[in-house]
Amino acid sequence: MWKVTVNGLLARKLRSALTALAIVLGVTFVSGTLVLTDTLNRTFDNLVGSAFQHVSFEIRGKAAFSTSSETSADSTANRKPVPESIATTVSRLPGVAAVDGSVEGYAQFVSRNGNAIGGDRSALGFSFDANRELSSLRLVAGHAPTTADDVVMDKATATKYHFAVGDRVRVLLGRPPQTFTITGIVTFGNDNNLAGATLAGFYRPTAQALFNARGVYDTINVLAKPGADNVSLQRAIAKVLPPGVQVVNGQTVINELSSAVGTDLSVLSTALLVFALISLFVGAFTIFNTFSITVGQRTRELALLRVVGASRRQVFRSVLGEAALMGLAASLVGLGLGVLAAAGLKALLGAFGITLPSAPLVFEARTAVAAIAVGVGVTMVSAIGPARRAVRIPPVAAMVTQSEEEGESLRGRLRAGGIVALGAVAALVAGLTAPAIVLVGVGAAAMFVAIGMLAPTVARPMSSALGRPLAALLGTPGQLGRENSMRSPRRTAQTAAALMVGLALVSAIAVLGASLSASAKSEVDSALNAGYLISGPSTGFSTSVAPAVSRLPGVGTVTTVYKGQFEVRGSLSGVDGVTPANLSHTVNLALTAGRGTPALAAGELLIDTTTASADHLSVGSVVPVTFAQTGHSTMRIGGIFKANPLIGSYVVGASFFVSHFNDPLPNAVLVSARPGATGVGTAVNRYLNAYPNVGVKTRAQVEQSQQNAVNTELGLVYVLLALAVAIALIGIVNTLMLSVFERTHELGLLRAVGMKRRQVKAMIRSEAVIIALFGAVIGVIVGTALGVAFAASLKNQGIPDIAVPYGRLVAFLVLAALLGLGAASWPARRAARLDVLRAIATE
Amino acid sequence: MFKHAATITETNYVGDGSVAPAARAVDLTKSYGKGDVVVRALDGVNVEFERGRFTAVMGPSGSGKSTLMHCMAGLDVPTSGHAFVGDQEIGLLDDARLTDLRRDRIGFVFQSFNLIPTLTAAENITLPVDLAGAEVDKAWFDYLVEALGIADRLSHRPSEMSGGQQQRTACARALIRRPDLIFADEPTGNLDSSSSAEVLAFLRRSVTEHGQSIVMVTHDPRGAAYADRVVFLADGKVVGDLVSPTAESVLEQTMKLGR
Repeated sequence: MWKVTVNGLLARKLRSALTALAIVLGVTFVSGTLVLTDTLNRTFDNLVGSAFQHVSFEIRGKAAFSTSSETSADSTANRKPVPESIATTVSRLPGVAAVDGSVEGYAQFVSRNGNAIGGDRSALGFSFDANRELSSLRLVAGHAPTTADDVVMDKATATKYHFAVGDRVRVLLGRPPQTFTITGIVTFGNDNNLAGATLAGFYRPTAQALFNARGVYDTINVLAKPGADNVSLQRAIAKVLPPGVQVVNGQTVINELSSAVGTDLSVLSTALLVFALISLFVGAFTIFNTFSITVGQRTRELALLRVVGASRRQVFRSVLGEAALMGLAASLVGLGLGVLAAAGLKALLGAFGITLPSAPLVFEARTAVAAIAVGVGVTMVSAIGPARRAVRIPPVAAMVTQSEEEGESLRGRLRAGGIVALGAVAALVAGLTAPAIVLVGVGAAAMFVAIGMLAPTVARPMSSALGRPLAALLGTPGQLGRENSMRSPRRTAQTAAALMVGLALVSAIAVLGASLSASAKSEVDSALNAGYLISGPSTGFSTSVAPAVSRLPGVGTVTTVYKGQFEVRGSLSGVDGVTPANLSHTVNLALTAGRGTPALAAGELLIDTTTASADHLSVGSVVPVTFAQTGHSTMRIGGIFKANPLIGSYVVGASFFVSHFNDPLPNAVLVSARPGATGVGTAVNRYLNAYPNVGVKTRAQVEQSQQNAVNTELGLVYVLLALAVAIALIGIVNTLMLSVFERTHELGLLRAVGMKRRQVKAMIRSEAVIIALFGAVIGVIVGTALGVAFAASLKNQGIPDIAVPYGRLVAFLVLAALLGLGAASWPARRAARLDVLRAIATE
Repeated sequence: MFKHAATITETNYVGDGSVAPAARAVDLTKSYGKGDVVVRALDGVNVEFERGRFTAVMGPSGSGKSTLMHCMAGLDVPTSGHAFVGDQEIGLLDDARLTDLRRDRIGFVFQSFNLIPTLTAAENITLPVDLAGAEVDKAWFDYLVEALGIADRLSHRPSEMSGGQQQRTACARALIRRPDLIFADEPTGNLDSSSSAEVLAFLRRSVTEHGQSIVMVTHDPRGAAYADRVVFLADGKVVGDLVSPTAESVLEQTMKLGR
């Protein structure tokens, strides 16, 4: 029996391969994702490990927030700097070989043609310590910075932008830009930069001045003498530290950073795996369909096996065994391709602005196990239905002439599909109101299965309607294609189902994206009264911008916006600081209770309506808060404003903000022009020429950039979903090939009675276009409904407006028809090439 | 070659001590369709097929001869009546038992050969044994392929063999388990006359030499002449019975019934 299975698979090589392709692609995605994230994890681990390999201990401020995620960006904001004097004290302890107090901050090089180099998030400035024993940085040319005018540059930047020792370079900072002399070129270990980040190393006192750290360090690294007892040394260091300062060993720092990177990467990996699962889900439809068709075509053979004594169990096992073999082969191929795809995915993410370091690929055993389990599992589960149908074939079918595949009754199908659909709707409603994203996913998947079950009931009339124009346009071939698509509604519907899932997801995302885009526009409209918004690097920009801008002619109100984090009622949250004076000229706070400007000026806290209702807070409530720099205190709620994603949930006055953070930099400056004033934008723009990393946008430009951000994310999602659509198309190719094979005799007859090759092709293509359109129409309808439901459930979470992008949805339909046409090209060519005589002789 | 003769097992005896026929049908009816368009393929058939004999079933198209065979072999379920293989009423068997019965006690030869296209001749022949998870009787296998003249075709696929070779392979498959009974459905329907003669001669020989019981559906009087007895069917009823037939006597009977 096993032999029958294996030989059967081999005999149908082409079809098996085509079917397996759906699984190959899904598994490729899964294994590619795992290899990619493992590789990135290892890369960052190695990086962190080599950065701290020489560090015995790190002295730092204690974390202020218990809930803070320990990422490198947050850690400094979460910790108070430590006084310089500690470095001196610790360096005198016996067993200490060296200490290095360091500060770091934002410092971005400017190229010779005036453009900022790299992204503001990966422009690292720091105090340079030439001590080889404590630092992984190596000088490869020149010398260490020794004056306030000096800077060392990473080799990658120097090479790419043609800088050399002795050149002058402008550097953007959290203060007005400054020009330095390059005294040295550095590498990070053997790498030319640090995981893609640019490096700007300054003389230590200069760095302290540049990064608002006069008299303090962010951290102090300690190197123990060889042979020193690390445990007692750590204890000795701890003894001389003032309260609020801690000492941890190098391994602790490495572990903290690794786990922070690991957390970030697991988010990426989960996101990619979701799309991989979507691809496999679509693949499952294709597998199910192909197995259904092949079981139908093999009715005689399977019945014969039953006649000569194969039990039902043996037949069932044979079909499932075939699926298992196919799944295994596909998984192995997918695994291999996945490793290649990991490199491709890296490039793809890079194209969307997520830069990743380069490193050899990491292949864990877990990747192979997961990929094979998923590939074999999906294939086998998809084949269970067809295998059960195979079992029901009566032995007598071996002897009677084969009947067209007969579906179960429409009523039974309607009932079963209806039940699944009801369950799906229940899961979706529960998931969207909870909200529970997993439940939404399960509900959506169940909905697709339900529609896959129900689709055959409408396949005949829909194919008929969709095919009518084709029949009119192409004459007989079009009419025959139309009738072919109608004659097996189940096959047509099942083939279309895969494309239906793909297009439903694409449409849902399109609706969600359009709604997000429209909402972003209305958010700007409702939150912003200012005519201009000045923004720069995410770490903030020079405090001198706001005062200078306010002195420009025609400028009315200037509002400085700070962004930071604090702990409120025990949980970490973002907090915005704004200058209260004439706030309504620049920001529309839409107060629902309490006061705005006076409350901010009085050092009170403003919260939005969502927070107020979720936490049952009202004006006059007093909440406990913690700031990293100033510790625990309480704040009175002075007002409640209508929630708006553009404004955070918590707002305080600027002076209050500044006094609770360590010399914060403005995140944005809002500018409103005086009534009747003209040329304000031009004036601001001219002033900002001195700051290449700071720009001014009009309201319209702000709206546009919000929408662009949405569209960029949308683009990434479309690309990831494209694979699911591709798999659906493979399904169409597969079904058409099987149909051509099955109708060899019929095709021969048509050719014999005078059908031209061209007409045969037109017939097959018509059928493909009808199938594709059938799937696309249902998919777009379902997807739009899902998208609207999803957007509606997020009404209070930042999507107040629902928009349906009709033009785009119609474009999807046209695209689907074209893709169907493309999918038909191979089967059509094959059908047209059939030898007439031999085709007629085929039974 | 006597050692290969089919042995009669205990279950083949009925209570009164006489040997049960290889198969029999009692008031067997089979209808297709519903309401006004009911077709009665079998209309109360009573027939016995003796053990160790070669019985031919003849009748015009639509007489119900294939349906009779399907119902008696447990391939199809009769509308009413009883079908026995040995003394086992097959209507009482569930699917698993029925499968075992087919596999272990019945052999089939079909008009269209019905070999599994992806298996070689040798694999096709041993398929029933492999399905049962049993050991192939090597001597019996060698005897069969030798007697059927397909020893040099064993590694060929069906598509690489002539129709006669395929049908002889199918005969070997039918006999490999030494079944109590072989049902042959128009075994020569797709063969030329010399291939037909080879197949029929082999079937005749397996009855004479090994006491094999065979029921063969045919519409060829010359083929029926190889049998020990001919049962005539028309409109779903048994309408005639001829012992020790010749081609002439069968043809004569057919003409008579045709009138």
